[in-house]
Amino acid sequence: MAMRQTPLTCSGHTRPVVDLAFSGITPYGYFLISACKDGKPMMRHGDTGDWIGTFLGHKGAVWGATLNTDATKAATAAADFTAKVWDAVSGDEVLTLAHKHIVKTVNFTKDSTCLLTGGNDKLLRLYDLINPEAAPQEIAGHTSAIKKALWCNNDKQILSAADDKTIRLWDRSSMEEVKQLKFDTAVSSMEYLADGEILVITYGKTIGFYNALSLDLIKTVDAPAPINSASLHPDKDFFVAGGEDFKLYKFDYGTKEELESYKGHFGPVHCVRFSPDGELYASGSEDGTLRLWQTAVGKTYGLWKCVLPEELGLENSEQLYTTPPEIKA
Amino acid sequence: MLLSGANTERFNMATPVSVLRLPKGPDPNSRGFDPKSPRFIALCRTSIATSASSETNAEQLPIEQHARSVLRETFLRCLLSMTNKKVQFLMHERVKVEATFGASDIDVLNFQVSDLHTPIGVQKEALIRCQDVISFTFDS
Repeated sequence: MAMRQTPLTCSGHTRPVVDLAFSGITPYGYFLISACKDGKPMMRHGDTGDWIGTFLGHKGAVWGATLNTDATKAATAAADFTAKVWDAVSGDEVLTLAHKHIVKTVNFTKDSTCLLTGGNDKLLRLYDLINPEAAPQEIAGHTSAIKKALWCNNDKQILSAADDKTIRLWDRSSMEEVKQLKFDTAVSSMEYLADGEILVITYGKTIGFYNALSLDLIKTVDAPAPINSASLHPDKDFFVAGGEDFKLYKFDYGTKEELESYKGHFGPVHCVRFSPDGELYASGSEDGTLRLWQTAVGKTYGLWKCVLPEELGLENSEQLYTTPPEIKA
Repeated sequence: MLLSGANTERFNMATPVSVLRLPKGPDPNSRGFDPKSPRFIALCRTSIATSASSETNAEQLPIEQHARSVLRETFLRCLLSMTNKKVQFLMHERVKVEATFGASDIDVLNFQVSDLHTPIGVQKEALIRCQDVISFTFDS
């Protein structure tokens, strides 16, 4: 029996959701953080979308948000010219890092001792979280606002994407540029998979896959509409992408074939990420919602329940109900 | 192309996947991070002052906890004794205002005040955002 995807809508934000990130898998499950233009980033359980808490403190739109691997710390980048570090268990603000312009991106090293930030002042900054009073190290080079910055190669290198249409690879110890990729159009998003050292880049209608160490091109795939974000499944068999036509697309990574597309959002999709176990992917949209989508449609996981044909007519104490694909926020 | 995923929705009589319930949304009255959750209880034994703190010394812990309890109690008693008194608030951007203190909300995010004296007049009732307050003084 064919099953139709039922996305789970996470409401709560009042403005567009512009970034989202998953933690690693912790003894308490895995978690999701969303950055929103309403200035109130939220943390949720990654497998159900249940709200855990809201990080209160920013005075402007939050453009970037991230969790460390064990979800004990969160970091956010905002239009109030600060990046903040939070205790992701208590929700308390732990550090405010002042910048000279809008901060767009934040990323922890694997051991959470160093925070990378980037934004409209065109500088990459490295904050030592063990000695937060110390001035950050700064890396200059980009000629326009930095959109995304990530640690890669076991935190020995840094990848940054900026509005100057370049992606640059930097060496952490020398702080020098190692390599550069030039594009004809602005890069809309970047994702890094440590396992396999793959970089996923989106620009225009294209999703590009690169070797993160050499920046050599692996392959490109074109989507039917301009794409704002894409994510590669941890097993590297599928990838998903979303953009300006409000839809989520699922492609076969090996054959580049478009497998499925899903409607659901009421606005452009700004960000999409696979969960660390690959069982679902989350999308954030201009419509102010996050939606969770199943990788294997119909499988029992999280709040989704596989209903066998025999069970459909039965009274069930679990109160199963079907919901239409478009759930109102 | 006609048989791509998007178009099959028109012909697809497939059943939508069942869902146990919808994801829980935010609590309008609190910022969350439930202190009764297993994760909080397990990981928040110590108060984490800065992200720099690593494993807290086991002997230090009860001392720190006691100190925090004392400070918290003092703060709460201070708020109680401030009720209906005139309080001067020193805030960011060199703002100094005076008002009659009413109450604080549970997360100490806002103070409810009356007769807030501002450079542009007296506001009968107002909320002061605690994030913006540097210090406040009053005669007890």
